Amino acid sequence: MCDSCGCDLTDNHSHKTDSRVIEVHQSLLAANDAIAAENRAHFEAMGVVAINMISSPGSGKTTLLEKTIERLKGKIRIGVIEGDIETDRDAQRIRAKGVPVVQMTTGGACHLDAAQIHKGLHLLEKEPGGDQLDLLFIENVGNLVCPATFDLGEHQRVVLVSVPEGPDKPAKYPKAFISSQIFVITKTDLLPYFDFPVAEAKADALHLNPRLQVMALSATSGEGFEAWIEYLQEVTENKGSGVQAGGRKEGTYP
Amino acid sequence: MHEMSLVQALLAQLTTLAAEHDKKRVITVTLDIGPLSGVVIDSFQFGFDILSAETSLTKGAKLIIINPPATYQCIRCGHRQSAAVRPDHCPECNETLLIPEGGDAIILNQVEME
Repeated sequence: MCDSCGCDLTDNHSHKTDSRVIEVHQSLLAANDAIAAENRAHFEAMGVVAINMISSPGSGKTTLLEKTIERLKGKIRIGVIEGDIETDRDAQRIRAKGVPVVQMTTGGACHLDAAQIHKGLHLLEKEPGGDQLDLLFIENVGNLVCPATFDLGEHQRVVLVSVPEGPDKPAKYPKAFISSQIFVITKTDLLPYFDFPVAEAKADALHLNPRLQVMALSATSGEGFEAWIEYLQEVTENKGSGVQAGGRKEGTYP
Repeated sequence: MHEMSLVQALLAQLTTLAAEHDKKRVITVTLDIGPLSGVVIDSFQFGFDILSAETSLTKGAKLIIINPPATYQCIRCGHRQSAAVRPDHCPECNETLLIPEGGDAIILNQVEME
């Protein structure tokens, strides 16, 4: 501790009479988290459950959404906010399935933030049917690192890893798995061709986050798909009550 | 490289604080960055060095980063331990499933300004 002013700074520390140490104790994510809280209130006012999907590029998020929309058509009203660095290709694929979708392009940024979702939500509400939803998927930018830090106001966070990526993703990218409620292993139809011990990937993920619910499925063959559909029906029926807020835990700092 | 976004959020907070306290220059900035925050401290420092040099308010400011430990609670016996690196097991009952608590904060604690 510094003897002159009693602060925690130990070196390179000036005590000129006009300098002053200001105690702040505020998260750098405070601005993002405030907007995320507004988004959450907005979702709840709309009666929609929001799910933030996080994975590496190419893990099959969009394909899973396409099959999910087909499967739940007429049962659950689905909307999608797509996040990508460039292009609206994913939004075109989702639009072809006949559900409201908006594409947010980050123009280089590696993640979606709460302000982009705020904007996306207002755009989505202008789409036909976009203000009458039960379930909103937010497909984050393909990246297993940066999106994990930013709370978007979602109710649930889902992290996905595809079989060709290998089983060591949980161990290498812990934050995404610690902050999620659901871990989906995708492309299980490729298990015969890749060395992907499902039990090992599950154990690694549970080691990081014992509360994680793990599913393994193939959107192509339909194997394991029912557990995913049941999960979506369950969170949608709960309408946000009893589902955990995604993202960083609130109140972890005094 | 979301560290750049976080550095931008930090610089925005410093600008607001300087205006509030009528200060012209930041001397030191002290932050807590937890081991589970998903932030690479070297990348954060790199981003700070580049972006802080762009304005007279923060040019030459020193960044002090403290890496507080996270707490891990055993899923079986409830024992809590503090650690900078994830422990392999519970020292009380050897259980390997431990629930992390905290350690994900990215907090601006103190700013010295003149």
